[in-house]
Amino acid sequence: MLESKEITKIFGTKAAVDHISLRLEKGHVYAMLGPNGSGKTTWMKMAAGLIKPTSGQMLFEDKPVDIDSRRKIAYMSTESFFYTWMTVKDVGAYYADFFDDFSWDGYRAMLRQMELEESMKTKALSSGMMAKLKIAVTMARDAKVYMLDEPFNGIDLLARDNIRRCILEHADENKVLLLSSHLVEEMEAIADKAVFIRQGKLAEVDDLEEMRVDRGASMADRYREIYGHTEE
Amino acid sequence: MLKLMKYEFRKTWITKLILLGVTAVAEIAFLIGLYVERETTLGLSVMLLMFLALGGILMIGLYSVMTLHRDMNTKQSYMLFMTPNSRYSILGAKVLECGLSILIGGAFYFALGTLDLTLLFAKSGELNRLWSAIQDFLSHLTFANHQLLIDMEGMAAFVFCLLAGWILTVITAYFAVVISAALLNGKRFNGLLSFVLFLALSWFVGWVARTVTASIPSINTLLLVDGAISLAFTAVMYMITAIIMERKLSV
Amino acid sequence: MQFNPSLPIWMQVLEALEIDIVTGKRQPGEKLPGGRELALQFSINPNTAARVYQELEKKGLCATRRGMGTYVTEDTARIFALREEIAGQAVCQFLDTMELLGISRHEAAQWLLKKED
Repeated sequence: MLESKEITKIFGTKAAVDHISLRLEKGHVYAMLGPNGSGKTTWMKMAAGLIKPTSGQMLFEDKPVDIDSRRKIAYMSTESFFYTWMTVKDVGAYYADFFDDFSWDGYRAMLRQMELEESMKTKALSSGMMAKLKIAVTMARDAKVYMLDEPFNGIDLLARDNIRRCILEHADENKVLLLSSHLVEEMEAIADKAVFIRQGKLAEVDDLEEMRVDRGASMADRYREIYGHTEE
Repeated sequence: MLKLMKYEFRKTWITKLILLGVTAVAEIAFLIGLYVERETTLGLSVMLLMFLALGGILMIGLYSVMTLHRDMNTKQSYMLFMTPNSRYSILGAKVLECGLSILIGGAFYFALGTLDLTLLFAKSGELNRLWSAIQDFLSHLTFANHQLLIDMEGMAAFVFCLLAGWILTVITAYFAVVISAALLNGKRFNGLLSFVLFLALSWFVGWVARTVTASIPSINTLLLVDGAISLAFTAVMYMITAIIMERKLSV
Repeated sequence: MQFNPSLPIWMQVLEALEIDIVTGKRQPGEKLPGGRELALQFSINPNTAARVYQELEKKGLCATRRGMGTYVTEDTARIFALREEIAGQAVCQFLDTMELLGISRHEAAQWLLKKED
């Protein structure tokens, strides 16, 4: 459904993403893993149409990403990006204005679950509340692809269950979910595929249950094997 | 497109509201000065109104350039660029919102100025000195070595020409800001280079306009043609800027 | 539920369901949650949840009725056999540990009886 072909992004002289060919199939939840600066965010931003690749292609349903793909791909960045004048309600109104697949009912239900009020000003939100708001508004879309960059960042242990549930509610056979997180253990049970990226290159893609059967290794075990000796 | 424009307006309306508020205060001072016949109040309020008209229109343009800069160089850029809108629409909404604001703002101050001058003229018996001072000021206004016509049409043509020129200047600044974000990002002397580019382009379009209008004898026609040239260049500049955004801009 | 991430998640959920079935927490013929619902209940990937039902059905512990959902088997003999299977596994595990400690089967049995009080 979402595929990159030899995609490369060079910032200055450094290749943030280096010839990555990766195909994400519908019906799977992918965990994208790698240390900071390995290129996960850049790859996602190219899929979201925010960053133009230096070379290579990003395809959604076999066509280069463009206006139409942005209608069907929901992207949540790590950073907060809402306009500072916005309230929680304004954020919903903005998504409702621009995304036909946005559901007010879904949004309100998630706000309740996450204990956010529509009248709250985004400027005054704590980082944890902001993280929840970003998830709520992104998942209130009925998209084909959800890309969540660090969905568990800033979210306390108890609320993480909420977030996982919210993510799982959107996982079905016609959708792709792509999550990146440093909190690898949070994704062990909800993801079924792992994409490891190292220094801008694709290291490997694994089926998690197969890996557990064949090697008795968890995603975190594999993470240590791949990155343990090289960096950080 | 309308939705994009709505949010462009939403980003700038507080500035505009403040401007309108201060203008209202100055206008009240003017009316008090006029009818209670306090010449100092009147003189000051006239100066303030003239300053607000010029400064306000300048501010609307500058603020919109700042907004564009923020919309490309901070995390807020995702808000615009993740939506299913082409970059032509995104930039177009900004150009239209800013251009319309400048034109409407200009028309508003022109209408207010006309109204105030009419009121002042009606009372000119008592306030002769101020009235003649204003007339004297207007008679010194020239454009491309032509004496302006001090009547409704002449002034309207002059204001249109100024506003169109200012819109073009703002779009030229957009162009420079986009070049800086899309092509020169991370390079040395980025800011300086884009500013030099801005100056060079402004000089070039000024030169074209002067050359084209040089042989027009009638001042009002000259003003209108000059304004039209500015708007035409605005359209061209918009297209070039949008193409660069579409092809090269990463946020 | 906490999982051991180094072991297949589907196996761990399967074991939890088996315990529910043999202890009667889930009765013979009782409807089981749908695949999506199971995924949400256990916070696991929907494909993993589907795998759980595949394996459960393969072991003859549940039956899928087309368009109706998945039900615990009504074959009580099968459930009884499962109970023995699980008990057998527990005994094996116990004996393995004892063997590791150098305790003979006879002694191990004594340990078991002693533990009663």
